[in-house]
Amino acid sequence: MRKMNFVTLSMMLFFLLFIGSWYFVIVAENASLSELFTEKNASHAAEFFKGLIGVGEDNNAFLSKTSWKQALGLTRETLQMSMMAIGFSTIVMFLTVIPAARNVADGTLTLSQKWHSWLSYGLIRASYVVSRAIPELVWAMIVIFIFKPGILPGAIALALHNFGILGKLCAEAIEDSDSRPVRNLAAAGASKTQILLYGVLPAVLPQFLTYILYRWEVIMRTTIVVGMVGAGGLGQQFKLNMSFFHYTEVSLLLVCYLILVFIADFISERSRSFVK
Amino acid sequence: MMNFELHKRKILTFILLLAFVWSLLPVDWDKGLLHAGGLAMAGQIFEAALHPDFSPDMIMLALESAWITLAYATAGMSLALVLAFFLGLLASGILAPGNKSRRWLKRIFRGVLSFMRAIHELVWALIFVASFGLTPYAAIFALAIPYGGMLGRIFAEMLEDVPAEPIQALKMTGASAWQCIFYGYLPIVRAGIISYSMYRFECSVRSSAIMSFIGLGGLGYQIQLSLDDLAYSQMWTFLFFLILLVVIIDGWSTLLRRRLGS
Repeated sequence: MRKMNFVTLSMMLFFLLFIGSWYFVIVAENASLSELFTEKNASHAAEFFKGLIGVGEDNNAFLSKTSWKQALGLTRETLQMSMMAIGFSTIVMFLTVIPAARNVADGTLTLSQKWHSWLSYGLIRASYVVSRAIPELVWAMIVIFIFKPGILPGAIALALHNFGILGKLCAEAIEDSDSRPVRNLAAAGASKTQILLYGVLPAVLPQFLTYILYRWEVIMRTTIVVGMVGAGGLGQQFKLNMSFFHYTEVSLLLVCYLILVFIADFISERSRSFVK
Repeated sequence: MMNFELHKRKILTFILLLAFVWSLLPVDWDKGLLHAGGLAMAGQIFEAALHPDFSPDMIMLALESAWITLAYATAGMSLALVLAFFLGLLASGILAPGNKSRRWLKRIFRGVLSFMRAIHELVWALIFVASFGLTPYAAIFALAIPYGGMLGRIFAEMLEDVPAEPIQALKMTGASAWQCIFYGYLPIVRAGIISYSMYRFECSVRSSAIMSFIGLGGLGYQIQLSLDDLAYSQMWTFLFFLILLVVIIDGWSTLLRRRLGS
């Protein structure tokens, strides 16, 4: 009975939130839907989309060799940025994931509990929450203050957001894994690194690879966004061309971006079924 | 056989490592990666996290912008759910009468859904702002389209995994296609849909926060303003509110998932 009550309560709460937010958008923000579809907006939109496909533009980017060259170079840069980002977050994840698993912290997995294991568990989990809760774009805005512009700050911003997600997913994979082989290793006197290499890793590697590839897919989609605040790649050029009203360049970059995203989806899906 | 399986994993791991090394090549590691004074800047930023600005004015401003962020996220999510329901239903192919039409229906609507989610919400937002102007609807539609695509795909997959027996039982008793959907498919996928939507709701709050990057109000806008003013302690106030908002929704969805799962 209580089980149903919580679900019903949640639904009611969500409904209230729904009413509240639409009320806020329509009444308090005074945004009317009919105003969107005025003739003025329609002509603006038509002009914009015509610009995108290159009607009435003087120099069409799709026909220009230099534009293609630049776009392809940026595509490669963006690809490298995404790989760097997933690489960094995987490294940080591997360094932190063992103490972040609940069954390591309470000693059921490694058969030994030290006074600091709950402390490191709490600290690492808290860092995961902070990293996950702050969007990539905000990380990028902060990181760009510290690093020189280029693809490195973009990769670092993406990694900062994704290591929390990856860490949480992988820690949960360790918690769900079969603990008996690992306990056996621990009982035989294996050290922390040996436990990681010979006990945990072989058992959870397929799961980890799935998560890493899945996050790489998501990172690929997000690279364009961190680029917009100046972290290099397709996004930076996209934003610049948008401000210069070079609409055919914008659509060329969008096409490159879409192809990249679809290729990433394809590769990640293929390699996931390869190791399954 | 087992051995070969293990080798496959090693091969993939090795390829991924090579790709990572290749990606590190274009960075100029020698020339200094930080701005002059970048390290001091980093110190200031992270030192400010220890004493965020919690004066009453800031708290009120942060609460107001948190509400705007939440409101846009909720409005966007509700539209996304409607989109996902209809598109997911079509993409699952359960409405199609024959095998051939089912295959075509699936192919077309899966393509639509993957196009919707391939473009990031912020890019949709820029496109909408360029064609509609700066209204909250630009943010709401920009959230609704990619999230509708993600939810729709999962919804379609769940509908396809529904076992055939209960549906056939319904059909035997003379239920129409819509009755099959409402009394057969939907009750079976309900729990899965709710927990996945809650997870995506958490993501949409984050996305709605960054919508402010294009100039709409909310937490992200305030974060950007305080970064522009180099007011790091104010920035951390807003960041802590964002973290709090995400943690609350995350906790809510974990509780809900646990209740639905067990």
